[in-house]
Amino acid sequence: MNIPYHRSVLLIVVPLVVLCLPAISDAESSCISCHTDLPVDELSQPAQNFTADLHNLAGFGCQDCHGGDPTVGMDDYELAHSASKGFIGVPDEQEIPGLCASCHADVEFMKQYDPKLQVDQLLEYRSSHHGKLLAEGDDKVATCVSCHGVHGIRPIDDTRSSVYKTNIARTCAGCHSDEDYMAEYDIPTKQFAQYKESIHGRKLMDEGDLAAPTCNNCHGSHGATPPGLTSVSNACGSCHANNLEYFNQSPHNDAFAMMEIGKCETCHGHHDVEQPTREEFGIGEDSKCLDCHSEGDAGYTAAKVMAEGYDSLETTLDQARELLERAERGGVDVSLGKFDLHSADDALIKARTAVHYFDTTKYNEVVQAGLIDAQKVIEQGHEAVDDLEMRRIGLAFTIPVILLVALALYLRVRQIERTKPYA
Amino acid sequence: MGRRRFLDVILGGGITALLVGIVYPVFRFIIPPEQPEADASRVVAAKTSELPPNSSKIFKFGKDPAILVHTKSGDYRAFAAICTHLDCTVQYRDDLEHIWCACHNGHYDLNGNNISGPPPSPLAQYEVTVRGEDIIVSKA
Repeated sequence: MNIPYHRSVLLIVVPLVVLCLPAISDAESSCISCHTDLPVDELSQPAQNFTADLHNLAGFGCQDCHGGDPTVGMDDYELAHSASKGFIGVPDEQEIPGLCASCHADVEFMKQYDPKLQVDQLLEYRSSHHGKLLAEGDDKVATCVSCHGVHGIRPIDDTRSSVYKTNIARTCAGCHSDEDYMAEYDIPTKQFAQYKESIHGRKLMDEGDLAAPTCNNCHGSHGATPPGLTSVSNACGSCHANNLEYFNQSPHNDAFAMMEIGKCETCHGHHDVEQPTREEFGIGEDSKCLDCHSEGDAGYTAAKVMAEGYDSLETTLDQARELLERAERGGVDVSLGKFDLHSADDALIKARTAVHYFDTTKYNEVVQAGLIDAQKVIEQGHEAVDDLEMRRIGLAFTIPVILLVALALYLRVRQIERTKPYA
Repeated sequence: MGRRRFLDVILGGGITALLVGIVYPVFRFIIPPEQPEADASRVVAAKTSELPPNSSKIFKFGKDPAILVHTKSGDYRAFAAICTHLDCTVQYRDDLEHIWCACHNGHYDLNGNNISGPPPSPLAQYEVTVRGEDIIVSKA
C-alpha cells in the first residue's frame, strides 16, 4: 500500500501525542510546546527550528500554514488537529506553492512587512520548468520549500540562508548534482562541479565577490529557465552588455546563427566559463579562432591582425609602466604620467571587449587610441628618467668636487702652517 | 703655475661649483615646474564657471583620476573615477544623468552606487566644498 507522506506522518503523530497527553495536559496549549518535546525528530525538529524562522519572528504560528487551533489547549488534541479547525497537516507538494502564495502573492498583505517585497513569485514559478512539471503531477520538482527550506527559513540577505547569494549554487546542486535523483530528467548533473571551478564560481564562492553570478542570475529564480530565454547569450549579455552588442554587429552573428551555435558559449563555455586569456585569440596553439578558421581565410588574417595589435599595445604599455616605475623608484614624481597611464590602460581593457567586433578596422581604432596615449606616457617616462639621470650626474659631479675642495683646504692649511714662524 | 696658485684655483673653482650646487635647487624651488605637486588629500578640481549643470570634469587627484559632477539639480559631487570592475576610467553621461563606464557598460548613480553592469562595488566618494570660484575636492 502506498501511503502519502503527510498521511504517514499523521499515522505516527496521533498515537505519539495521545501517549504524551498525560505529560502535557497541564502545559501551555501550543503547537511548539508539545512538538518540541516529541521523541521523534521528524516531529520535534520542525518545532525547534521554527523558533528561528523569520515567519515566527514576524508573529506567524504553525496554524498559519498547517491549520488547526493552538488555542484549544493540549487537553483536546483531536479538536486542535481537526478539520473543523482547518487542520491540513503536512501540505502536499502540489499544495505548497499555492499555500505560500496565499500570503506572498497578496500585495496588500505583504507590503505591511516590507514595501520592497516581490509578490509575483507564484506567477513566475508557474512559468518555470519546475512549475510546469509540478502542474503535470511531478512531485519531485522543486517547490518553494526545496530552496528556501521549511521551519527554519531565514531572510535571503542572511548569510545562513540557503538562498543567500553565495549558497544558491549549493542549494540548486542539492538536486541537480544528484545523479540518482536527476536520472529520469535526462539533463547533466555536473553543472555545480564545473561552476565552482569557473571564474564566476571562484569569484563568488572563494572570494565572496557578490557581483559574480550564480545559478539564478542566468536561469532566473522563481521562473527558472523562464520563457523567452531562448539563448544563453542573452543571459551573458545582461552583465557583459558590450561584448554581446559588439558580437551582434559582427560577421560572426549571422555565421553562428546559420550554424545554430551559441554566441558566447561556443568560445567561452557554459557553467565552466574561465577567465579569457590572450592565448585564446590569434593564431597560436591555444587559439579558439583556429577551431573554425585556418591559414589563408579572412578569419585567420583578422585573428592575426587583432592579436598583433593587442600585443603591440600591451608591450607599449609595459614599456611606459616600466619607465614610470624606474623614475618613481629614483624619487621622481610621476603622478601625472600615472594619471595618463590610466586612460592608456583603459584602451587595453576596451581592446579585449572590442575583439567581439571581429572587425579589424573597429578593433584597430581602439588599439590606435591606446597606442597614442601609451606613447604620450612613454615620453613623460623618458622625461622623468632623464630628470633622474640629471640628478645622478649632478651628484656624481658634486661629490668629487667636495672631496677636492676638502683636500685643497687641507693642503692650504698645511702650507700656511709651514710658512708661519713658530712663536 | 706655482703650487700655491694651483691650490687657490682648485679652492676657488671648487667653492664656486659647490655654490652652484646649492643655488640651483633653490632656483628650481623658486620657479616651480609646470607639473603641479601631487596633493593626495585636497585639490582644486575646477572653477564654478567651467562646469555648467549636468556636466562633469575628470581631474587628477594624486596620481589617480577623479570625477567631479555638477548635477542637474545643482549639487557638486566627486568620486574616484576608477571603475570598481576592471579599473577603467568612468565618465558622466548627461543623457542618463549618471556615471558610466565605457569598458563593460557599468553604471553608477550620483551617490556612486553601482546600479547596473559588472561593477562589484560603489565608487569612493569625496567631499566637495565651493570657496568663491574654486571647487575644492578633498578626501574625507
